[in-house]
Amino acid sequence: MPVKTVGEEFTKGLWKENPIFRQLLGLCPTLAVTNAVINGIAMGLATTFVLVLSSIVVSSIKKVIPPQVRIASYIVIIATFVTIADRFLAAFFPPISKNLGPYVPLIVVNCIILGRQEAFSSKNTVGRSLVDAFGMSSGFIIALLVLSTIREILGAGTFLGYQVLGSWFEPWIIMILPPGAFIALGILLGLANKIEQLSKSRS
Amino acid sequence: MSLFSRMIVVLTSVGILSGGFLASVGLLTKKRIALNKQREIENAIFLVVPGTHSIQKLYEEKDLVLYGGIEEEGKILGYAIQASVVGFQDKITFMFGTNITITKINSLTIIEQKETPGLGAKITSHEFFLQYWKNKNCSGSLSLKRPAVSSADELSASEVNTITGATISSEAVLNSVNKSIEKLKTLKEGRKLNIKGENAS
Repeated sequence: MPVKTVGEEFTKGLWKENPIFRQLLGLCPTLAVTNAVINGIAMGLATTFVLVLSSIVVSSIKKVIPPQVRIASYIVIIATFVTIADRFLAAFFPPISKNLGPYVPLIVVNCIILGRQEAFSSKNTVGRSLVDAFGMSSGFIIALLVLSTIREILGAGTFLGYQVLGSWFEPWIIMILPPGAFIALGILLGLANKIEQLSKSRS
Repeated sequence: MSLFSRMIVVLTSVGILSGGFLASVGLLTKKRIALNKQREIENAIFLVVPGTHSIQKLYEEKDLVLYGGIEEEGKILGYAIQASVVGFQDKITFMFGTNITITKINSLTIIEQKETPGLGAKITSHEFFLQYWKNKNCSGSLSLKRPAVSSADELSASEVNTITGATISSEAVLNSVNKSIEKLKTLKEGRKLNIKGENAS
């Protein structure tokens, strides 16, 4: 496998290996919290925090950890950062913490994070893992933003809480309920596959 | 070092390090989180008993806390009742205020809820729910107006509007309000409220 440049390491998370649209990882928080843009942003940032810091720690101590206990060690490290994020949100941003509810603690089992430790940070240098973590998080945030924008506008007629559609618009309540998450994500995944197909057939 | 002891050493030190780290984060944020909770309750009391200067806790049991809103000169202005009830999905915690004779509800506000977004969650909306709780007569028990009407003028003094599509949530709050008022009245008559100055006489 040819060695990737730092730029490629970052941009692969945005599209080619986008955690949501291409790898289909971390779908539970994606479906659950994207009923409003602000929640999507908060979840994206909390996940970024956890992913970046866990990647730094895991890639710097990868040689010390015996392979037999690596998963257990990763989970403890990830859980530590998740708990910090959770307490921090509860202390400084109580309304957001309330909206995200149990989904912040659940970042512990978000497959994107454990997946990146196992697939990347445990085999690469600290620098590369950091770039990879930022790339993957950006891809995750973009996906959450797209999904939550569609759902909030159609489901509530608002964007970030501001009314964008006039009073003529009757909100599609289903879009901010769980079925709306599946419908929107399904259509987006279909689109992503179509775009990928088109770009492949062209090259 | 054998593999076995290395495994133990690594896992133990990871655990100890993260435990120590979390303990310090917990200590640093604990005060603030408690303060946030307290401030939320205080703000709700100031809202439902207008003119409140200080707050006094009068009574507490499971899912019901009674506060007195005290004005500047130390006289009690009204009661703030914090109650929790199971709604459609999870517990709804809300606060409402009455005048001192418990004949009028000033207003109601929701503190915590996890009802369905777009339906039951409208209990937090002024337009769909909260405005209909302003200045209600609670000498008797309150009732729900069904089907919902579009303006507060169409409601009688002891009627509250229903949220269309979320009858269970509206009803849960209403029943809990009626129950809490009943309880407050019994407590007040039995002089079981811990009101400073008043009970001493």
